[in-house]
Amino acid sequence: MAYVATRGGARAIDQAERLYRAELGQIDAARVDAVRRALPMLIDRVMGEASLYEPDLAALALAQAGGDLYEAVLLLRAWRTTQPRLAIAEPVRQEQLFTHRRISAAFKDIPGGQILGPTLDYAHRLLATGVLQGRPYSPAPVTPAATAAPAHQPSLAAWQKAQGLVADPARTEVAPDAIPDLTREPLLFPAKRAHTLQSLARADTGGMLTLGYAAMRGYFNAHPTVNELRLAEAEVRVTHPRGTVFSAGRVKVSQAEVTSKGKSGQLNLGFCATLGWNEVKVISGATLDLNAAAAPKGSPVEEEFFLYHTEPVEASGFCIHFKLPHYVTFQSSLDALRGAKASAAPQSEQVPS
Amino acid sequence: MFDQAKTDDPPFDHGRLLDVLARADAARLMALAETLLPLLDAVEVVQSRTGLVMLPMRDTVQGTDFHLGEVLVAEAHLRATGCEGYGMVVGRDLERAMAMAVVDAATACFGQTPAISAFLQSEAAAQAAADTECLRAIEATRVDMETF
Repeated sequence: MAYVATRGGARAIDQAERLYRAELGQIDAARVDAVRRALPMLIDRVMGEASLYEPDLAALALAQAGGDLYEAVLLLRAWRTTQPRLAIAEPVRQEQLFTHRRISAAFKDIPGGQILGPTLDYAHRLLATGVLQGRPYSPAPVTPAATAAPAHQPSLAAWQKAQGLVADPARTEVAPDAIPDLTREPLLFPAKRAHTLQSLARADTGGMLTLGYAAMRGYFNAHPTVNELRLAEAEVRVTHPRGTVFSAGRVKVSQAEVTSKGKSGQLNLGFCATLGWNEVKVISGATLDLNAAAAPKGSPVEEEFFLYHTEPVEASGFCIHFKLPHYVTFQSSLDALRGAKASAAPQSEQVPS
Repeated sequence: MFDQAKTDDPPFDHGRLLDVLARADAARLMALAETLLPLLDAVEVVQSRTGLVMLPMRDTVQGTDFHLGEVLVAEAHLRATGCEGYGMVVGRDLERAMAMAVVDAATACFGQTPAISAFLQSEAAAQAAADTECLRAIEATRVDMETF
């Protein structure tokens, strides 16, 4: 991202970095631990955009970047390249998710019921200013139900397909190691659906919200309603050398389907999922997916537009590279400007006959 | 803790055994591995490293499998007494993964001894209890939208 081939100014560069880091002070394990425990939503967002699930490393990246999300994502993406790929897990299936939250805004009564889970959806948003005056804010504990919720919830989309409400396209089984992978091959258009969904999973939350919000406000064809939103934990199912499949642990994932009425008499669905819990991102991403099929060329909901412009490391890197030395290219522009001015000057001095 | 296993408890199949070990309390797992290690001869560490596991997901709309992102894991692989042991856990804890591999190797060599069996029963019960506690809190948020 940065210009590492520059020469000269070494002392100033060194001191500038020191000045930046002086603001952050010493970074130690206690600070990283405090970031991880205090900011789980931010950790999730960074892990999703970095496409790397490891909360401690995400907390370290945030601490080291002083909370600059793009720097934190860049640090994690760069660190990730130092690690070997050991395996590809079994695909996560919706009905196998250990589900914490599962709601539908389109249907009141869905198989398995609606579970709000951890949310502020219906809470007052009041700043607890008393904390700054020495009165700690202690949340009231949950009163658990007598019985436990089912760990796994049925798929609403599967039920809708069975009812003929949405299309049920035939799927082709693909071996895990044959799934298209953006980390090893370029994004080309028209994109494979696997590339589109992987790209959305690692895309910039703010960028997706901007483009998704434009669609939600009516600038494009399909207005979304949340068909199903789910926050859950997924088992990472890997294979033992003797062939036994087992779970190496769980990771947090979120997924959303949004729906709108299609022209074929069925409902259309858009889909998005990501590592970590990030509702804004998956609802926005599903809205973009919903609109992409009918998007005109060059529109912000066309997949080429939104996938190219929501890649956080490329986008932020391109943006901030403009502050780095461009003297040669800009001098060329100045020369062209001066040349044009010089060639125009005699004509303006001509006196009409 | 280890003497709590009932003799009529059926042994865990290999998949369930690995599930429980991967999620087991780290300190207790390492303590069990320490007791089993002297029973294993000529331990050869084939692998002890961190690395990435790509996690695919199935799209619910078109059924397309795609990559959600990578998960950092710790992996351990060893051979001892003619048996293989393997451990993989989400995260960076190499000792935890090695302890899992030691227990897996000991189980491959000697079967589910009373100590291993008791550990598995105890950890499985603790994991189930943790899940139940979590799911009871989740159930408290169930809402009937007809009366919302």
